[in-house]
Amino acid sequence: MTGTTVRTRSADETRDVGRATAGLVHPGDVIVVVGDLGSGKTTFVQGLATGVGIAEHVVSPTFTIAREYVGSVRLVHVDVYRLERAQEFLDLGLEDLADDAVLVVEWGDVAAGYLPADHLAVQLTPGPSADPDERTVSLTATGPSWGARQDAVAAALDAR
Amino acid sequence: MTLLLAMDTATPRVAVAIGEDARVLGSVYLDARRRHAEVLVPAVASLCEQTGVELRQLDAVAVGVGPGLFTGLRVGVTTAKVMGQALDVPVVAVSSLDLVAHPLRFAGRTIAAVLDARRHEVFHAQYRPGPDGVELVTEYRVGPAAELVTELAAGGEDVVLAGDGVRTNRAAFESLRRAVDAGQEFEAPSATALVELAARRVARQEFAASFEVAPLYLRASDAELAWGNRR
Repeated sequence: MTGTTVRTRSADETRDVGRATAGLVHPGDVIVVVGDLGSGKTTFVQGLATGVGIAEHVVSPTFTIAREYVGSVRLVHVDVYRLERAQEFLDLGLEDLADDAVLVVEWGDVAAGYLPADHLAVQLTPGPSADPDERTVSLTATGPSWGARQDAVAAALDAR
Repeated sequence: MTLLLAMDTATPRVAVAIGEDARVLGSVYLDARRRHAEVLVPAVASLCEQTGVELRQLDAVAVGVGPGLFTGLRVGVTTAKVMGQALDVPVVAVSSLDLVAHPLRFAGRTIAAVLDARRHEVFHAQYRPGPDGVELVTEYRVGPAAELVTELAAGGEDVVLAGDGVRTNRAAFESLRRAVDAGQEFEAPSATALVELAARRVARQEFAASFEVAPLYLRASDAELAWGNRR
């Protein structure tokens, strides 16, 4: 499946992409956010959180592993950066914790076998220019539920 | 005579029974949602009181080890292991899917035990019915409900569906022509079945040391996460 790709020129613009995505999420959704350190994963999630009405400042859960926020939906924000083994990931009990929440997993692709195939993958890459603030953001929806929303993802990003 | 405590917490419904050999002295089912830790031990205490059984009289503890929802499963398995150690009695581990299938052993058709794994996925296994019990004919598996439906449709057998995963994925299962739904009564793993199945194992001395008992995860939990050289 081809995703939707946009270019952002600042953290604020990356935040806007997150905020634009917020209109498409439902409880039970899974969003996997992928990109190197400093690529803007948490920045994207901050925009998403604002978009679902979360006023609290979203910070990276690298050390706390998981944080929960409540807006128009419950948002469970997970970062697996400090996890090594699948067992540790399973020990989070996300299927219960995030059952009726939107589950956002930073670095989630390393745990792909333990997350539903039905999800939105957000990939952040620096560039393509040498501008250190520029990012290429690709949003790829897979599975029956998210797959049907790929066009809506494109439309929401166009309208941002 | 063997006194047995049986507990299953693989689903939002906590099931507890106390058995004298294979005979159930009492059982209780409580909708715990996510509050398994708060519900389980008081339920055990209350059932002990009602049946006049004291914990120190127990000869074995039986536990449903899933597959099932992690939060609940952890509570049940940990409680069983702690009781096993504290009381110095063996722990008998039985799959929670077996506990869904066993009450349907007289159904006369293939039994598909289906427990909710959230997000349109189910834990499932199929069984051949028999008067003495059910026989597992597949592995314990986890996957999209839609995949199980496709597989059952292709198999073309008459099948009875049981477990809470049928209700939570009703739209997927409704398309199956040769399937009947066992309904609410058979939704949760049966504590009565656990007493029966565990009593047989105790009689055959088929039990593990309590520290060897672990939840059935199905998703390979001993693997490394796929970091490659990215960190």
